[in-house]
Amino acid sequence: MTAAVPAGVGPRGPAPGRAGLLSRRLASTTAGHYVIWAVALLVLVGPVLAVAAAALWSTPLYESGGHLTLDNFRDLLGDPTWWRAVGNSFVFATISTLSSVTLGVVAAVLLTRTNLPFRRLLTGVFVLPVLLPGLVLVVGWMATWAPSGYVTSWLELNTVLTFPIDLYSLGGMALVATSVAAPTVFLLCRTTVLSIDSSLEDAARSAGAGPVRALLSVTVPLLRPAITNSTLLVFAVVFEVLGLPLILGFSKNITLVSTYLYDHWINGTSAEQGVVAAGALFLLAFVSALLVVRNRVVGDTGRFATVMGKSSAKRLVDLGPWRWPLAALAAGVLVVLVVVPLVGVVASSLTSIFSPLISPWSVLTSDNFEAVLDNPVWMDSVVNSLLIATVGGLVATVVIALLSLVAHRSEFRMRGSLQQAMLWPRMMPGLVCGMAFFWAFVLLDPTDTLRGSLWGLGLAFAVRSLAVGYSAFYPALAAIGRDLDLAARVSGAGWWRSMISISLRLSIPAMATCFVLLFVSMLNDSDPAVFLVTDETPVMGLTMLQLAATSTGGAVAAFGVIQMLLTVAVLALGRLFLGKRIHA
Amino acid sequence: MPDLTITGLAKSFGDNAVLHDLDLRAEDGELFTLLGPSGCGKSTTLWSIAGLHPPDRGRIAFGDRVVFDDRRVDVPPEKRNCGVVFQSYAVWPHLTVHDNVGYPLKLRKVSRRERSERVAEVLELVELGGLEGRYPHELSGGQQQRVALARALAHPPDLLLLDEPFSNLDAKLRERARDWLRILQQRIGVTTVFVTHDQDEALSMSDRIMVMDRGRVRQVGTPEEIYHQPADEFVADFIGTVNVLDGHVAPGADRSRVRVEGLGEPLLVSPPAPAEGAARLAIRPERIVVHPSGAPAATPNVVTVKVRSTAFLGDHYRYVVVLGDHELVVRTLTRIDHGTELTLELPPDAIRAYAARG
Repeated sequence: MTAAVPAGVGPRGPAPGRAGLLSRRLASTTAGHYVIWAVALLVLVGPVLAVAAAALWSTPLYESGGHLTLDNFRDLLGDPTWWRAVGNSFVFATISTLSSVTLGVVAAVLLTRTNLPFRRLLTGVFVLPVLLPGLVLVVGWMATWAPSGYVTSWLELNTVLTFPIDLYSLGGMALVATSVAAPTVFLLCRTTVLSIDSSLEDAARSAGAGPVRALLSVTVPLLRPAITNSTLLVFAVVFEVLGLPLILGFSKNITLVSTYLYDHWINGTSAEQGVVAAGALFLLAFVSALLVVRNRVVGDTGRFATVMGKSSAKRLVDLGPWRWPLAALAAGVLVVLVVVPLVGVVASSLTSIFSPLISPWSVLTSDNFEAVLDNPVWMDSVVNSLLIATVGGLVATVVIALLSLVAHRSEFRMRGSLQQAMLWPRMMPGLVCGMAFFWAFVLLDPTDTLRGSLWGLGLAFAVRSLAVGYSAFYPALAAIGRDLDLAARVSGAGWWRSMISISLRLSIPAMATCFVLLFVSMLNDSDPAVFLVTDETPVMGLTMLQLAATSTGGAVAAFGVIQMLLTVAVLALGRLFLGKRIHA
Repeated sequence: MPDLTITGLAKSFGDNAVLHDLDLRAEDGELFTLLGPSGCGKSTTLWSIAGLHPPDRGRIAFGDRVVFDDRRVDVPPEKRNCGVVFQSYAVWPHLTVHDNVGYPLKLRKVSRRERSERVAEVLELVELGGLEGRYPHELSGGQQQRVALARALAHPPDLLLLDEPFSNLDAKLRERARDWLRILQQRIGVTTVFVTHDQDEALSMSDRIMVMDRGRVRQVGTPEEIYHQPADEFVADFIGTVNVLDGHVAPGADRSRVRVEGLGEPLLVSPPAPAEGAARLAIRPERIVVHPSGAPAATPNVVTVKVRSTAFLGDHYRYVVVLGDHELVVRTLTRIDHGTELTLELPPDAIRAYAARG
């Protein structure tokens, strides 16, 4: 044995006598894990308990006195308008789900597996509504397709055609919901279509089936899990949505579950707050049940599909002479659903009156944007939203990374429950999330410093967006081999050190993606703010919601365009620096 | 360098016991190999030594330093001072070769100057001198593996642990890497535990081999012992190729004479079968002697067999012959002109007799 390596450069391992020191160090790592776990559970799960408390207490929790009661539930269930709202929500969600699933699945097959002309362009236009703030599109729909809207009026004035659906009815609301939900279905199904082995279709071809027949008899049936998945998901999301029914249901007084809760909170007495909490619990239970069923059926693939651009090397099915008529049909549908509303919102923001009776070119103006810039509340909400999205997004990204590491890369005993806790907020409708934090702040923060601040609002937004970020971050973390941090451990690094210097360092690109997603989502979020916003802390999403619900006109459109431009700018920057397309 | 002692190591996942009270002792400076099929517990053993997987019971000591003892002592991996080369190499992609190798030294607060010297020294040792500034993706698979090895040797470690380090290399490179690592290990003299499922690797590199199967030790010995005197049929079958014949020792008869169905005379075996009754006879293809023109008289265990197939495999010929109810594989270095029949000699000391299982 000729020792070519002079030993003794590095210190030797510890002597046996240092075992006490070791166990203390081990204990401190574990203690850190416990603290993280406890805080995470308090913030993620705790607030819901506060809603339950508010629902079961006779007086609002911020008042003294009161007692345990079931009266709030009795009042809720005895209210006929509540039951009408539940019925409306079911009708609305059912129509929206059926139409978006049909449209989404057809599009997934047509745009990914056939030689339809311009399919890349069509795909790009189709998924646009997922990227943009939802309310902006609704404003665009109102400006163009409402009974008094630009295109509807134009058609009536100049052609024999009419737009067959009244936008201010349940059917019209469902149509608007479809334009946003169908791309979600499309993205989920497209992933499956792309992952299906084309040799399965080839086998059908060699058995004698024509190309279209093979597509319909092999690929489409294989889509069933993806269809089930998106059906349940879309139903749950549409059932809870607030902005759309609030804006479109206003004129004909159509109440859904979400608008019922909103209305009773904003316009009701403080005594009604318990009833609203009870209703929120119902909404939470129903949406959670749907999503639990979905997880059972298809596994947990994420409520928010995070799909990166992926090129397909599949052989395309030749549509033959049908390709041009089908392309024209697809383009027509997209013009109605996406292009016209978007053009409409931009046009009404740039004109003083947007009407077919007057040439838009004669009424071009920048007044609408000046009105936005001059309005201190609106500008404040832009600044506040940017603050929340930037600071909150950064903090939330770091927290998500940290929690994911403890949940997936440690030996911590409770890591399983932490994984569950991180998935939990995706079950929470935005309204419930906001209310949960409202009551939690009432219970835990009697000084009200947090509730009235941007921090409180940011916290609620962050919890609501946690699932988006986690869905984007976790796959990247899972792709980083476990060996890499184990190698750091055996090299002499403790758990925290190995996480920070290896795993976290390697997941920086994933954290950046996660940040972009959180930024966009927190920038535009509105529902939780209903319960948390104060005069000093307006945010863009809620301001937009309140404006759109009560007024129309150029200034609202201009505000929407500003919101849209900010979102697109961030996504484009993300694309530029991260080199991939991000779909939230 | 300390030796390694493991006593009574046990581990189960739920009801599935992957290690049954395993004992092991690797001597100072030895290259000790854990060999077995996948799922035999060899990796679990290695992870237990490294501290990356706590076993349920048992005791692990490096020299007189106890690193694990029935959960009363469980030194975390970062304090065990092992060097580990992972199957995937686990070379950190965001660090240069220098920083990868220097990482353990940095954690041990070695000064920058000393660290650079040491890194250069270790890289020289693994023949990667001059590549300090490269990133892992700029290196070939073989070079990455040597970076992993350099990193494992940098501290320097008390114990070197290798987890199937060659499995990601192509065949030619693997053979070179094997010889090279063996020479390096002997030069440094670090006690090394090597995990593999590849018998050629195990035979060519090890001082001693421990053959494992389903969480139990089948045999510990030098490569020659393992190959020529396998302790049981599993070891004989797992290492190299072996012909197995079903035999029988009549009650009260001489246990060195084993009857095989279809043979007139019993076969002479040395050493004798361990028990009366059913027996299994194992003989390596290359130990069977072929007598093209008949065996000399008085040669024991001469049999005449039918040739079923012949194959030329480059460096040897392979014959499949029929002996009674059994097929035998025979290897020869030269081609044998034969008719339909062939005369074979099965030397008694080439036959290992085992008690039939179950």
